[in-house]
Amino acid sequence: MGGVEVGAKDFGSGQKRSGVSRGVAVLDFILRLVAIVATLASAIAMGTTNESLPFFTQFIRFRAKYNDLPTFTFFVVANSIVSAYLVLSLAFSIFHIIRSGGGQKSRVVLIFFDTGMLALLTAGASAAAAIVYLAHKGNTRTNWFAICQQYNSFCERISGSLIGSFGGIIVLILLILISAATLSRR
Amino acid sequence: MEKSEATTIEVAETSRERKGKAPLLAAPVPADHHAKAAGNKRGVAIFDLILRISAAAAALGATIAMGTAEQTLPFFTQFFQFQASYDDLPTFSFFVIAMAIVTAYLVLSVPFSIVCIVRPVAAAPRLLLILCDTLAVTLATSAGGAAAAIVYLAHNGNSDANWLAICQQFTDFCQRVSGAVVGSFITVALLIFLVVLSAIALKKH
Repeated sequence: MGGVEVGAKDFGSGQKRSGVSRGVAVLDFILRLVAIVATLASAIAMGTTNESLPFFTQFIRFRAKYNDLPTFTFFVVANSIVSAYLVLSLAFSIFHIIRSGGGQKSRVVLIFFDTGMLALLTAGASAAAAIVYLAHKGNTRTNWFAICQQYNSFCERISGSLIGSFGGIIVLILLILISAATLSRR
Repeated sequence: MEKSEATTIEVAETSRERKGKAPLLAAPVPADHHAKAAGNKRGVAIFDLILRISAAAAALGATIAMGTAEQTLPFFTQFFQFQASYDDLPTFSFFVIAMAIVTAYLVLSVPFSIVCIVRPVAAAPRLLLILCDTLAVTLATSAGGAAAAIVYLAHNGNSDANWLAICQQFTDFCQRVSGAVVGSFITVALLIFLVVLSAIALKKH
């Protein structure tokens, strides 16, 4: 009888631990979905910018589009790549939920790719932020003119698309931390 | 009846003896396994320390290269002199500040790395290191990416926005600044490697 009681206790704590780790894996999955939405929204918001000013001269049409600035092209590409990667990594996430004993090697691989994608996303977002800052303020020393004073809606769109990207960065950091904490608990 | 009791007692003793014997046989194996795992983690921790010092050196180099970027052109008009310095562009000021923070963090994290070498199996310092290394990756990448965008603009200009390529005049300044951006990307690569190393060391074998 004593043996049966001890066995029941062990089973209880093991079940609790697997319950917590399953909850954490579900949280990981939800955060990935949030990051997908954020980065995809950023890519689309930046990619559909197109503003034409109502006046034009005989030779030039005043128009602003995202691919006039190569940095914004890089931003759209980076956000799309991170978005696609996150969709693919949902499979890993589901695997971790189902097998709550979760593969350790697969978690290390996930951390590796998550960190790489974090770097790519941060580079794209901060490069675009630098250009957006320049577009808002200009620079007197280098004689760079602040284009936001003319292209208002273009400017608002590119500034707003940065928000989704930075949200994606924060979520990716949380995902890396969750994976690391789960690794150390096993 | 006595015979059957004697038989039952014998069976019970044999099974108890078996249970008593099993842990003795099993005991040496986990201890040896632990020692091997600790040895692996110690090796990883030493490699971590070496990479950390290199990353600190790279970050320091990038900070100093950008911070001392200044060029005065040899010609001047009556009213002003053509001068370029890193603080003319706020992005470069952000770069210097951010890389300085990353350098300071890397230098301060060396004691934590040494603690990980001395106690290879402890998880708490490694978790702390992974958290702070991830934040450092973000900061360094953001500084490098923003500065790279401005450097690209300085090299190529932009005809649509009517932005002139200043590198054609300030060549030394441009070279110095580009070198600083390269240094920051080297730091980012080393930091990513550090995060993955910490993750591998956190694995429980």
